[in-house]
Formats: sequence, structure tokens, C-alpha cells
Amino acid sequence: MIAEIRAKARELLENGQVRCFIGYEEGTRGRVRPAFVYEPQDVDRLIWDERCTHNLAVYLHQFQHPLKRGEEPPRVGILVKPCDSRSLNVLLHEKQIERERLYVIGLTCNGVRVNGQPQERCQRCSERVPLVYNLVMGDVPKTIGREDYADVARLERMSPAERLAFWTQEFDRCIRCYACRQACPACYCFECVAEQLDPPWMGIAMDLSQKQFFHVMRAYHLAGRCSGCGACEEACPMEIPLSLLNRKIAKEVEALFEYRAGQDVETPPPLATFKKEEELPL
Amino acid sequence: MTTDFEPQIVGFLCRWCSYPGADLAGSSRIIYPPSLRVIRVPCSGRVDPLFVLKAFQEGADGVMVLGCHPGDCHYMEGNYHVRRRYSLMHRLLDYIGIEEGRLLVDWVSASEGRRFAEVAREFTAQVQALGPWGGKRIDS
Repeated sequence: MIAEIRAKARELLENGQVRCFIGYEEGTRGRVRPAFVYEPQDVDRLIWDERCTHNLAVYLHQFQHPLKRGEEPPRVGILVKPCDSRSLNVLLHEKQIERERLYVIGLTCNGVRVNGQPQERCQRCSERVPLVYNLVMGDVPKTIGREDYADVARLERMSPAERLAFWTQEFDRCIRCYACRQACPACYCFECVAEQLDPPWMGIAMDLSQKQFFHVMRAYHLAGRCSGCGACEEACPMEIPLSLLNRKIAKEVEALFEYRAGQDVETPPPLATFKKEEELPL
Repeated sequence: MTTDFEPQIVGFLCRWCSYPGADLAGSSRIIYPPSLRVIRVPCSGRVDPLFVLKAFQEGADGVMVLGCHPGDCHYMEGNYHVRRRYSLMHRLLDYIGIEEGRLLVDWVSASEGRRFAEVAREFTAQVQALGPWGGKRIDS
């Protein structure tokens, strides 16, 4: 399959359909890193296997603007897994990137592995074929996961005091590196609330309440937008279970508004629309 | 819970309905608890959930967001958005351990002075029963 990906990337770069092709390459210490291929002769760097965990949609923001003044913004080719494709849908929906400037190679996925370990999110994932693509590659997937929110439900059954204690313990580890935000394709604000100076929403203190504020704020900003790709959790050096937070919101958004992030590019986002007659629990 | 605990409650009142409603309660000499700190906002739709979070962080024991009744918004649709936002925010706050009873989103019109006082009284009693919120900022 990698031969097909390389051949297609070479073709796209050679005939000028894309300026850059975003994929994966071999990194250091047996790890995989994102690759940005500009020249056709470099396509042999590209790889594809189950270590390719990154959500490449996050890099599309770098291609919003022209590389040189006066030029058009560059056209980009990109590899997407099914989860990434939902992130991509969120970006397309929010008009962060034009569909015409993208060439999307969708890859069917049987789940990725970090250090040889299958990922929990992949076991929960029921979508094994990308939602948006120009060309789809790969075999029909063998495994289909199921999302039952079992871990979220376990937390819901606790008392508020126990939950507060749980989250206090988790958030207290946060070192405020903001790696979660940087890894997130949906976190593209030019100026993040966390760094805004006027008004100063957050202080710079390494204080539990600041950390808590940051995480809850980020979770809320991702309401109806988080596609559950798990990039934040994977980027977190302190192993804070951010997916527990984000999936809780995803669950509620699904229950209240019958909407899943990145499902399509037409349905209005749940928090940007309303129905006059709906009954919502307040 | 101590009975002499007086909660600090932040109330975001919409400029067109709830704030005049509170005003009416005052000019009609209806008594409501002094634990309420009122912040006037142009519309309940102005109240970013971040405001609520910030209020809790800065030491509020309860937060109240009051707006016009659905359908009566001066800006046509502000409170419809509020309804969606806060139905979600309620659940998120509860999930991270801020009890659901500490946030109240309700509708009070400009002519409902008596109702405003009632809502404020009930909510204060509710927060009083929950006790002080433990997650507040250490330096506050």
C-alpha cells in the first residue's frame, strides 16, 4: 500500500497539483513523525503503518496563507485516517481551509498502536473508513469498535465530591505546557484564552484553579467540535485523561442535539443554532 | 452545614428583562437575600460560559444567569442560544464536580419583580444547603 501512496504523492507533486504533501516518515528511536514533502524525489521518505498516530489535519493551518507574498495559498495533499477525516470535516465546516486546495488520500484503518500497544480510542472507534477523501486506499477493515462510554459512565456514577477529587488529582499534574492545545486540529484560535492578556482570563501561576480553568475552558470550546482523535491525550506528557472530559461532552452533545463532530459539512453546529420549540434541561 | 454560611452568588442579569425585574423587586420593597451580586449584561446571550467558570474560580458559591423568557429576547434569539449552551454547561460542571445546583439558568421578565425575589431566595437557599464551594482559588 505504501507504494501506492508514494506513487500518488509523486504524481501530485510532479504535475503541480499540490505544493506540499503531508504524510508520515520514520523518526528517531523507532518512532514515526509527520513528513512534509515538497519535492517529488523525496516521496520515498513516506511510510504508512500502525505507528502513524498523528492527526495530520492539525498542520493544515500552516497552509492557510501564501508561502510567498502575492501568491495563492498553496495546494496541499494530505493523508487522513478515519478519525483525522472527521477533524478535517470540522475544519472544512468552519471554513478554515478550502476543499479545492486539498487533495485528501483517505486510508482505511484497523487501529493504530503506540509503543506496540493498541489504543483504547481505536477499540472504541466504529468508523474505519474516512468520511472525506479524493481517493481512498487500503483494504476493507477487519475490526469494528464500539463506543459505550463505559468509563465516562463510571465517573458519572460517583458523587460530585468524588468527581471533584478525581479531577483535582488529574488536573493537578498539569504542567501547563499546552501540548494538548497544540496537537488539537480544532484548537486554531489566533489568540488562545489561555494567553490572552486583555482581558486576562488566566494567570500564569502554577495553581490548581488555573489548570482546572484551562482544561474546562478548552473542553467547552471543543463542544460539538472534538472528533475524538485522541491527539491531545497522546501529546500530554503528564497522562491526564483528557478523552474522559472531551468524550463526556461529545456524549452530551449527541444526547441533547443529535450531533457528532465532523459528521458532515452541512448540519449547523449545535451551539451555533437552535430550535425554538425544543425542550432542554436547564 | 453551618446555618450562618452566607453564600456569594453572582447573578448575570439581562438588561432588558431580568435587571428591570430585579429593579422592580427593589422598588416594590420586596426583600431578597443580600448574598446576590448582580452584574448587568446586555443580553443573557452575552454570558459566555467562561464567565460562569471564572466566577466559580474567583470564589463564587453559586452563579445565576437570568434572561428574558424564550421568545421575548430583545435581540430575537439570544436566550435560545443560552438554552443550548447552558444545558451543556450544566452537565459539564456537574461532571467536573461543581454540583448542578450551583448554577441556575432561568427566565425572569421585567414585570416579574416578585418572581425575581423568589428565584433569588430559592437559589440562595439551595446554595446554602450545598455549602461553600471547595474548589475556589486559594488566594481569594
